[in-house]
Amino acid sequence: MSRSFGRQTPAADGPGKPFGGNTGPASGLRPAAPLLVLLPSLVLLPLLVVLPFQVHGGGLDLIGQFALAALTPSLDPLVLRSALTGLATTVGMALLGWAASLVLGVLLGLASSRTLWRNALGPIWPAELIRRLLAIPRAIHELLWGLLLLQLVGLEPVVAVVAIAIPFGALVARVVADLLDGLNTGRLDALRLAGAPAPAALLTALGPPLLPGLLSYGGYRLECALRSATLLGVFGLGGLGTDLKLTLQSLEFHELWTGLWLLLAVMLALETGLGWLRRRWLMPPRLGLGRAGVGLRGREIVLALAALVPLTFGVGWALGVDPRALLAWQSLQGLGGRGWLDGARLLALPWPALIGGTVALTLLAAALAVGLPPLQLLVSAPWPPARRLVRLSWALARLWPPPLTALLLLLVLQPGLITAALALGLHNAGILGRLLAEALADGSSAKEQALSSAGVGPRLALLYGRYPAVARPYLAYGAYRADVLLRETVVVGLVGATGLGSQLLESLSSFAWDQLLALVAAYALLTLLGEELSDRVRRRLLQRA
Amino acid sequence: MAAAALLELRRVSVAGRGGVPRLEGVNLVIEPGERVALLGPSGAGKSTLLTVANGLLPPSSGEVLWQGEAPARSRRLRRRQQARIGTLWQDLRLIDELSVQQNLNAGRLAAWSWPRALLNLLLPLDTPANAAVLARVDLAPELLDQPVAALSGGQRQRVAIARLLRQDPTLLLADEPLASLDPRLAASLLALLLAEVTPPRALLLSLHRPDLLAGFDRVIGLRSGRVMFDAVAGDLQGAAGVARLKELYRGDTSALEETIGTDPAQTPPGR
Repeated sequence: MSRSFGRQTPAADGPGKPFGGNTGPASGLRPAAPLLVLLPSLVLLPLLVVLPFQVHGGGLDLIGQFALAALTPSLDPLVLRSALTGLATTVGMALLGWAASLVLGVLLGLASSRTLWRNALGPIWPAELIRRLLAIPRAIHELLWGLLLLQLVGLEPVVAVVAIAIPFGALVARVVADLLDGLNTGRLDALRLAGAPAPAALLTALGPPLLPGLLSYGGYRLECALRSATLLGVFGLGGLGTDLKLTLQSLEFHELWTGLWLLLAVMLALETGLGWLRRRWLMPPRLGLGRAGVGLRGREIVLALAALVPLTFGVGWALGVDPRALLAWQSLQGLGGRGWLDGARLLALPWPALIGGTVALTLLAAALAVGLPPLQLLVSAPWPPARRLVRLSWALARLWPPPLTALLLLLVLQPGLITAALALGLHNAGILGRLLAEALADGSSAKEQALSSAGVGPRLALLYGRYPAVARPYLAYGAYRADVLLRETVVVGLVGATGLGSQLLESLSSFAWDQLLALVAAYALLTLLGEELSDRVRRRLLQRA
Repeated sequence: MAAAALLELRRVSVAGRGGVPRLEGVNLVIEPGERVALLGPSGAGKSTLLTVANGLLPPSSGEVLWQGEAPARSRRLRRRQQARIGTLWQDLRLIDELSVQQNLNAGRLAAWSWPRALLNLLLPLDTPANAAVLARVDLAPELLDQPVAALSGGQRQRVAIARLLRQDPTLLLADEPLASLDPRLAASLLALLLAEVTPPRALLLSLHRPDLLAGFDRVIGLRSGRVMFDAVAGDLQGAAGVARLKELYRGDTSALEETIGTDPAQTPPGR
């Protein structure tokens, strides 16, 4: 596998240049790469100070019962059957939403590629326009799409599928366009100069280098789709998520764990399977995305993709997904009636507090999500069983939808910003932790071994031998994740008590459509800003590597 | 204790894939002050022997003794033993993302506390000591603030040696440090290393090619995981010595011909 992390060429900076070139005075503090990775975890210090004041004694024994029930999930055939049915629905919805988002994403990605427009038609402004427009569906979380569609067409199986397909499609489109426009166009220009027609030249020159990155990213989106489908279930859109929420609310922890373990098995199988395919087909690893990969076994890939088509249709038929349902709109309660749009009511919303709360929630959750995994790995480094335990906790955290974590935390914590941030942060720490572990496994162990052969302890050997190489790509991915988190704050709106997300859910349940529209617009704007900001941070991190 | 050998291998074997052992029944003693060259064709097991010697690879059978002691059962004590052994790796294993100073301090990590190790990632620490080891490898102290990635190949080699000096081990191991270097650079680096070997320190350095043997007290020939000879350096001169070397390199004449032949500049690519 190609080294994913920009290995700097020696003397790239020129020998006379001090560390990085643009840093301040030579005597200033300069946290080095491995230390940078640990800085976000500093957020734990104030958090640990504040947390005791958030605890209400109430549900400690319930938390204990919940944890113990993990060892004794219910094996009642009825429970098992219901969980399996729910799981099948969730997996089916994920698969369909994912497949639709890939098709949509590739088409839209091509449509928003500057390279493509320049070569096929000439002007590139349509590409720019489509790119800008796509930012809107991307900025709205799939849960919001789901809830909006739910109001519009009622509880239909197709709702969850479309809710996943819309934002995912827009995300895939962006990645496709970026990959396409990031490719070296030398080969393309050569073919064009030799007189090849545009479509043939584009396909020949850009297809093969594009495919590995696209497939690697596409596989990763399937994992995301599974998480999203579970989450949508929690909000009543069907599948296992609904069961999980109901069993949690009725405190039937043994039945809850039946569903959880099954979901964990499916998720780990999916992740392992995709990882295996990625290695088999020599796809670029996740943190190395954007670097052109080297694909292998083209025929096998085409066959596998072709097999997906009948599978998708079969699953769609089995779930009763009917796209026509999308056309039968229900009249929205209260919409269009007199006074549905009330400017005064809109202005009465505490906008600064809402936006401030959302930003604070995002930052806190992001610091937790980025800071926890490297710290956990470091602390557990000397004990292999502890390392396995950390891995398992990550797996559970990423499969467990954040609103359910929030519900669980509410058993012992008061509702508020911190509880919401913990729920979001832990979930995302599970995702980032796995990426970090993967990146470390892909990296070379030579330096770590060299250090331990000189008597350096396992923790410091990890810190000095392994973290430097992954630090910047990991943090860059963390910046991207922060931007995802901003979008995701809506899912913990229930316990947030502050922020746009909770207000949005409230407006939705009281059919205040004007507020809802304004809130969605505010969310979209904020997300776009966040995206711009995180993009800058990311570029800076990767450039200095 | 005072008289104990720095390193002793007793009937050390390391199993390999397909039943072919990587080391077989190796006996070896390194005394304080000795400069020992480990010679052999590629695949002879030189790297394996060195990783057994520094404790990275536990042997399948046989004993490793460091200053007369077996590797300690407790991890803390074993690390203390290993801190007295320093290895110069062929790929250097410098940390590219850190500055020269931070890399040099990495040599002290075994002795340092956690806070100090973290502080090293934030502040320049122990600048005088680092400047001193840089001077011993003929590098200017101005390099301390540079990222290692910005150095030239020769400078990186020297920084790696300087890091070893910061560790201050009694047993120096070096895994083909001279492969893939041009002859002039190889000779100057070897001179640097040899100059640092004064009692009680000792050096065990593996070489692919049998030139550059001047300056060593002893030469150990390794082939197919077995010790073929363990000779005083002077014994390898003359016709009898050449015959022994030819026997060692039987079937792999390239290394030998080059050094006995005319063109020493044609260095075989390092493994």
